[in-house]
Amino acid sequence: MMPTPPPPIMRVARYCLTVVTAAVLASPLHAQSEMPGMGMSGGWRMVPMDPNMIMLPGLTGVVPVVGAFLPAAGMNPTSFPEAEPSQVVEMTDGDTLDIEVSIVRRSLNGHEMVMFGYNRQYPGPLIRAPKDATLVVRVRNEIELPTTIHWHGVRLDNEFDGVPGVTQEAIQRGESFVYEVHVPDAGMFWYHPHAREDVQQDLGLFGNLLVTSPNPSYYGPAHREEILVLDDILMDEQGALPWGESAPTHALMGRFGNVMMVNGETNHQLSAKQGEVVRFFLTNVANSRTFNVTFGGAQVKLIASDVGRFEREAWVESVVIAPAERYVVDVRFEEPGTTLIANSIQAINHFQGEFYPHVDTLSIVTVSTETAAPGISDSFDSLRVHDEVAAELEPYRPHLNREPDYELEATLRVQNLPPPIVLAMEADTLFFPPMEWNDAMPVMNWLSTGDQVTWILKDRDTGAENNDIDWNFKVGDLVKIRIFNSPDSFHPMNHPIHIHGQRFLVTSIDGAENQNLVWKDTAIVPVGSSMDLLVEMSNPGEWMLHCHIAEHLSAGMMFSFTVQGQ
Amino acid sequence: MLYLGLAILISFALPLPIGAGEAGYCLIEGAEYYTVELVTTKNIPGTGLATGRADLSVPANSPFSVAISPDGSYEYFVRVSLERMKIPTEGRLVAWVTTRELDRIERLGTLDQNLRASGKVRWNKFLVVITLEADNNPEQSIWAGPIVFRGMSRSGRMHTMVGHGALQQENCAAYGYAN
Repeated sequence: MMPTPPPPIMRVARYCLTVVTAAVLASPLHAQSEMPGMGMSGGWRMVPMDPNMIMLPGLTGVVPVVGAFLPAAGMNPTSFPEAEPSQVVEMTDGDTLDIEVSIVRRSLNGHEMVMFGYNRQYPGPLIRAPKDATLVVRVRNEIELPTTIHWHGVRLDNEFDGVPGVTQEAIQRGESFVYEVHVPDAGMFWYHPHAREDVQQDLGLFGNLLVTSPNPSYYGPAHREEILVLDDILMDEQGALPWGESAPTHALMGRFGNVMMVNGETNHQLSAKQGEVVRFFLTNVANSRTFNVTFGGAQVKLIASDVGRFEREAWVESVVIAPAERYVVDVRFEEPGTTLIANSIQAINHFQGEFYPHVDTLSIVTVSTETAAPGISDSFDSLRVHDEVAAELEPYRPHLNREPDYELEATLRVQNLPPPIVLAMEADTLFFPPMEWNDAMPVMNWLSTGDQVTWILKDRDTGAENNDIDWNFKVGDLVKIRIFNSPDSFHPMNHPIHIHGQRFLVTSIDGAENQNLVWKDTAIVPVGSSMDLLVEMSNPGEWMLHCHIAEHLSAGMMFSFTVQGQ
Repeated sequence: MLYLGLAILISFALPLPIGAGEAGYCLIEGAEYYTVELVTTKNIPGTGLATGRADLSVPANSPFSVAISPDGSYEYFVRVSLERMKIPTEGRLVAWVTTRELDRIERLGTLDQNLRASGKVRWNKFLVVITLEADNNPEQSIWAGPIVFRGMSRSGRMHTMVGHGALQQENCAAYGYAN
C-alpha cells in the first residue's frame, strides 16, 4: 500500500520549516546566546560532561538563555563564616527555635564555596520533637533571595506551610516569619525552602525533623540511629556550576550533581561493631536524582517511609529513594572490615545506546571485630507485622480498589529550544527508561531552561493544566487520584509527586495492587506508569500538589487544591 | 548544503507543532508502553499468523515504585501470551529470557494450555524467546528446540546515535563500533 501523502498544508508547513531551520542553523547565532569558541559569557561555564559523552553539533559555545547566578558573586568566600555540621535540637511542645538563613562558607571537594545554611549548619539543625508537639520556629532571612520554609510531610496548619503566594508572602532579606509547626505524625520529616528550590535547596538549605512516637517499641530494637541525608551537587574545577538567575537551567531532567554528599559531606564515614544493628533514617534532598542505595553485603530491613511504618517489615536488597522521599531501614553489619554504602545504578549512555553500571560511594562503614552488645539478632532476624498500622488502615481498605475520582496526566511542552536539541530529542523517542538515574545528556539538559520548558500536570477530565486545575474537597474526603506519566511527549521523565498537608496511600501501580501499604507524602511515578493514590483529606486549607524535581516545579508542574473545614 | 540537509531532516522528523497531548509516536498507554512484541519465526506449522506479547510490570511485592536490583537493573514480572496458534501436538512450548549476547539465559517457564507463562527478569536489555522443547524439564538451562517466537525489550530500541543522523561525522571506532 502506498503511503498517504501529507495534506497540502503540511507540505507547505514542512517547506517553510525547512527554509527557516536551514537559515537558523547556518546563522552564527541561533536560539540561545552563543559565544564563539570556548569563551562563555554572563558568568556561565561549560557544564561538566562525562568524557565518554560527545556534544551535539551546533551546541558548542551555546549557553542558557537566562543569566547565571552564584551567591555573593565576586565576594571573597573567606568573608563569610564557615558552616558547621548539623547539631541536634531537642524540642518539646511549645518550645521556640530561631533559624537564621544566611550565607556560609563551605569547603567542598577541595573548593572554598559560598553556600547557604540554616543557622550556619549543614544540613540545618536536626530537630527532634515528640509526636503531637507544637513547635515555634522564628525564621530570619539574611540571604539575597526571598525564601520560606516548607515543613515537608507535616500535616500542620495551612498558614505555616511555607508556600509563597499561597500561604504566606516570601520572606525578604532582613525580614522574619514565625512558623507554628504542629507534628501529628511520628516519622522522619524535613524542611526546605519553597522558593527557587533548585537554587536554595541545592546550596544547602535543608534539614530534618524527627518526630518521635510515645510508643517505646514503635520501631524494633536497634543499637543506634544514624541520619543519612542524600544529596548531590554539580561542580567543575572552579566550584559549583552557576544556577539560572531568573529561571532554572536543567529544566528537562533536573539538575543532577556529579559530587555525592551524605549529610553535606563528600567523605562521609561511619564505624560499627560486628553484629551492630544501625537504624538509618534516609532523606533524599537532591534536586533530581533518585538513589538506589546499597549497603554492601549487609542485611537491610525496611521499616518505615514518609509518614509512618509499613504494614509489615520487609527484607530489601537496596533502597530506591526519590527526591523528597524518606525511608527508615535497619541494617546489620556482620562482617568486620569495610562496607560501602553506595548508589548503585545502571546509567545510560545515550550516544552509545547502552546501559552501563555505575557506583558512587556515599559512605564508608568500618566494622570492627568488637561484638555489639546487647545481642539483638533474634529480633533483627524476624520481620515484625505492625498490627496497629493494619488496624488503622481498615477503614480505608474498601476504597483501595475503587476507580479514580480524578486523573492527572504528566507531560510537557517546549518552545524555542535550540534546533539540535529538538532534533536529538525527537529522534530519541523510541525508548524512554522508566527512571532517569543519571544525566545522560548534560549539555542539552543544561541548556533547557524554565523559560523554554513547561512541565504539565493535566486534569484529564477538564483539560485544565497546572494552576488552572480547580479541585475542591472537604475534610474527611477520601480521594482517589490516578497519575499517568505519559510516555507520549517530547521527553518524558519520572516524577516524584508530593502532596502538601495531607497523607496518602499508593494503592496500585499499573494495576498491580500494593500489598504492603504505608502512609506517604511523596511517591515517584515512572515513565509510562499509572499510579493510584488514595488521599485522605484531613487538613483544611489551600495545599500544593507538585513534582519534587526542583526544576520541574519551577517549570510549572504544580497546582493547589482546597480542602474546606467541616 | 550540510545545513540544508540537516534542516530537511529536522523538518521531516518533527511533528508540527510540538506540544502536550499531541499525537505522538507511542500510542499505547501505561505499562503497555514497555510491552515486548513477540514475532513468530514460522519455524513450526501453524504459527504463520500467530502473535505474541510479553507484558512487563513491577513485581507486586516491591515496596518501591520501581523494583531495582542491587546493581541498578530493573526487575520486571514478565507475562507471556500467545494468540492465534494451536498448541503443538508434540513437545512443550517454553518461555526464556536471555541477554542480547546470549551469554545468560533464564527459563521463565512452560506455557500452559492457554499459551501463557510468567516469571521474572532482572536485566535492562533482553530478549524473550519461545521455543518448542521435547519435554517439560524445569532444570533445563538452555533451549534445545527450535525458536518459535522472539522479541526484544523496548530498551533494545535505544542504540548508538554515533555514525549516523546528527552524529554521522563522528568516528564510530572511537566509541567501540566499526566504521
